[in-house]
Amino acid sequence: MDTESVGDPVVCQNFYQPSSEDIESWMQKAFDMAKEALEKGEVPVGCLMVYNNQILGKGRNEVNETKNATRHAEMVALDQVLNWCHKAQRDPGEVLRQTVLYVTVEPCIMCAGALRLMNIPLVVFGCKNERFGGCGSVLDIPGDELPNTGTAFKCISGFRAEEAVEMLKVFYKQENPNGKTSSALRKRET
Amino acid sequence: MEPQCKRRKATQDEPVSWEVLPVLSDEQSQDTQLLDAYAAPIINKRETSRLVKELATIYPLTGLQHIKRVRACKDSSTPHPLEIIVCLVSDLQESHGEVSISDLSSGKFDRNGLGELFLVKIPACPPLTRPQFELASKHWPTSFHEDKQVTVALKGQLFTADQKAKMQEYMLTAITAAKAGQAAGMDSVGAVIVDPQMDRVLAVGHDCRGGSHPLHHAVMVCIDLVARGQGGGAYEYQYPTCQFSAPSSSPGLSIRCPVGLEVKDEVDEAKQSGLPYICTGYEVYVTREPCVMCAMALVHSRISRVFYGSASADGALGTRYKIHTQKDLNHHFEVFKGVLQQECDDLNGIAF
Ligand SMILES: [Zn+2]
Ligand SMILES: [Zn+2]
Repeated sequence: MDTESVGDPVVCQNFYQPSSEDIESWMQKAFDMAKEALEKGEVPVGCLMVYNNQILGKGRNEVNETKNATRHAEMVALDQVLNWCHKAQRDPGEVLRQTVLYVTVEPCIMCAGALRLMNIPLVVFGCKNERFGGCGSVLDIPGDELPNTGTAFKCISGFRAEEAVEMLKVFYKQENPNGKTSSALRKRET
Repeated sequence: MEPQCKRRKATQDEPVSWEVLPVLSDEQSQDTQLLDAYAAPIINKRETSRLVKELATIYPLTGLQHIKRVRACKDSSTPHPLEIIVCLVSDLQESHGEVSISDLSSGKFDRNGLGELFLVKIPACPPLTRPQFELASKHWPTSFHEDKQVTVALKGQLFTADQKAKMQEYMLTAITAAKAGQAAGMDSVGAVIVDPQMDRVLAVGHDCRGGSHPLHHAVMVCIDLVARGQGGGAYEYQYPTCQFSAPSSSPGLSIRCPVGLEVKDEVDEAKQSGLPYICTGYEVYVTREPCVMCAMALVHSRISRVFYGSASADGALGTRYKIHTQKDLNHHFEVFKGVLQQECDDLNGIAF
């Protein structure tokens, strides 16, 4: 994985990486979302898709209500970007190539695959996802040689990681006060 | 090419024969790795148990519990019927060139009964499959805890003729869906999700990327259709081939309904579980090996088995990754390839 610390803006494939100030302020928003979710008793993960300084997608996990185990926050946010493109009559391909994902937890293998297929150029995330992580933890989908699976993308990882982990821990404790595995089944699988 | 075409024409309705093979983990499919070791004949048979005991203390074959320390000599012309592994070559790293019996840590060890050392290669890992066991045994005897099902599966004999007929029927449904999708301008990939206990097709889908959504690969469509059959779902598909039916407790009673309709009473049952692991116990038949997104979506959905026809370049269930054997993941499923392979390969021919 092409991990680097938040630093100078880098130009890659006609995509202008956001400045470190921009990254910080979008991640602040993502963390605010996660906190809000935690207060509502929902999985504390914040996820934003930003194009040209504009939030086009704001996903939250919808696995339980849709009974579809693939409805992770990232997938929901990608759908919102596509809807925006449809309404604004913009070419999704062009928009997605300039859209950054900010998320408090590392995307899973499935979502990483989806982000590649959608040609997202950059993903900024907080803590690692040891169980399912597709951006370095279990597999390295953004960096692997996959000529038929969209475009490789860049990751900036470890952004306020401890804070992101702490929120997840608090959530799981609430969800699972007696340490029973049955309620652990409802855990978000990022 | 000519005779091939003729043969295919003659059996137009009869699919070309196919073989269903398991997609095993790298550890199960790799060649046997070997280590260099010193062995020696046991000249005095009565010393055997003492030699085994002492060598196990001085040169424990750490991590090589599968190796049988003593082997019977196959060659009847040799005067000594037994041979014993003395140590690994790496155990005697300090000595250079020809190593002799006298180089062994002589102070602690009574060499009585042991002949001169000779080099052998021994299998580094316990064999996991019968082919691995047979290869390993050519070098030195090992123990083998055989998974009978894997052995039978590797011979292509895991499934009965009836089961193969069912598989063929399901895969033909997927192929038909792929063709319908292709006619609607999509990539020609089709999938079905079935409940094998009830012998029921729960969802039929094809690639819908060209139309509604760039991530609507056939497998993703089917997963969402199964969710729909259980009162959930995230999308509407405007293609008539993409269908679902609600799970049922009565086998064979197939209520197919076009997307948009609900089958109320049967949905309730599914709702009670409250879990999103909707594909528990189900199988998917897909014409082409799933990509990494789809493969992981099947993990999240807790599918129990995947059957596919053709391999794909970035495929995540055998070709590029083996998501189903990834140790860190919390759910694993079985994968078989080759179902109606020729027909599925032909679909790919249409696409490009
Ligand atoms: Zn995910
Ligand atoms: Zn796919």
